[in-house]
Amino acid sequence: MWAVSSMAQFTNASLKAAGLTCSMCSKAVKKALEDVAFVQEVKVDIKTQEYNLVFKESADVEFDVLKKAVEDAGFSVASLKVTGSFPEVHVKKDSHVKAHGRNFHFLNGNGQALRGEQTLTLVDKDFLSDKDYKKHSSVSKLECVKTGKTGSCCEKEGMGAGERVYHVVI
Amino acid sequence: MKNLRKIFVPGLLTLAWLQTSAQQTIPNITDPRLDFTVISPKGDSMKLSSLKGKVLLLDFWASWCVPCRFSNKQLVKLYSKYRQSGFEILGVSLDEDKADWKKAIAKDKITWLQAIDDRGWDALSAIKWQVDAIPASFLINQEGNVVAINPEKKDLEKKIKELLGL
Repeated sequence: MWAVSSMAQFTNASLKAAGLTCSMCSKAVKKALEDVAFVQEVKVDIKTQEYNLVFKESADVEFDVLKKAVEDAGFSVASLKVTGSFPEVHVKKDSHVKAHGRNFHFLNGNGQALRGEQTLTLVDKDFLSDKDYKKHSSVSKLECVKTGKTGSCCEKEGMGAGERVYHVVI
Repeated sequence: MKNLRKIFVPGLLTLAWLQTSAQQTIPNITDPRLDFTVISPKGDSMKLSSLKGKVLLLDFWASWCVPCRFSNKQLVKLYSKYRQSGFEILGVSLDEDKADWKKAIAKDKITWLQAIDDRGWDALSAIKWQVDAIPASFLINQEGNVVAINPEKKDLEKKIKELLGL
């Protein structure tokens, strides 16, 4: 059930950046995202203030790299929603799931089956405003919500300790 | 020392820009590497080099750029004060949506020359002038030479007066 399907992968994302100045008024964030190895294309949507990313086919998409690119450009991530196709997995509130070779911790969910194209919102620290992070992280008592790394809590779910785990809501 | 650096660093940057972007001492709007054609709100094409002879402020902006809209407010005052004496502004918008652009022109009460290069950061005019952030402005003298890059409004007024001999 948690097997990584070679067909499945993340295809695109929408990212909002925040900072002291108007992030859209500078080319810096767009350029930094375009320079990320697994990013094929970046389009700026002025109306929604989002950077719409298309990932390269079969690329190994690592969300931390996107965050670092935005931060290196002098801004921070205000929101990141990622879209990809999923193998069939059932998500329960406050549970871990392995998909696309990455670990996910769903902070919501009611046991529904994920299948096909899904959009997840990342709620790890520094992927959204501090206020929203506090709101989302309060859902779970598990230590990984604070560290972003798998702990002793996750081993029974097929994850090693100390692995990166992304916290998401659906 | 801190003050010295403040004076020197922008000076050096300007110099580097001048040397790399044009193989001449001072960039001039008649240089084909800097000249561009843009479209007016009525749909006419407008060539930057055709404005040679004016004291010109080339101003890159967009309707969605809040700092640009603030700058427009200040430029409205400056323009009404010096247009009779020969000061002109060419606003080049990077808006991709022409309706947004026209709405902003009306709202900000812009009466100076307006044109659009509707390809966002891929606009050729912005690429030619190495514009990485907006607002970005260039003050150009009657000979078509760039004499200031992103001048502060106070400094801009002083320079306009000088160039116009006021």
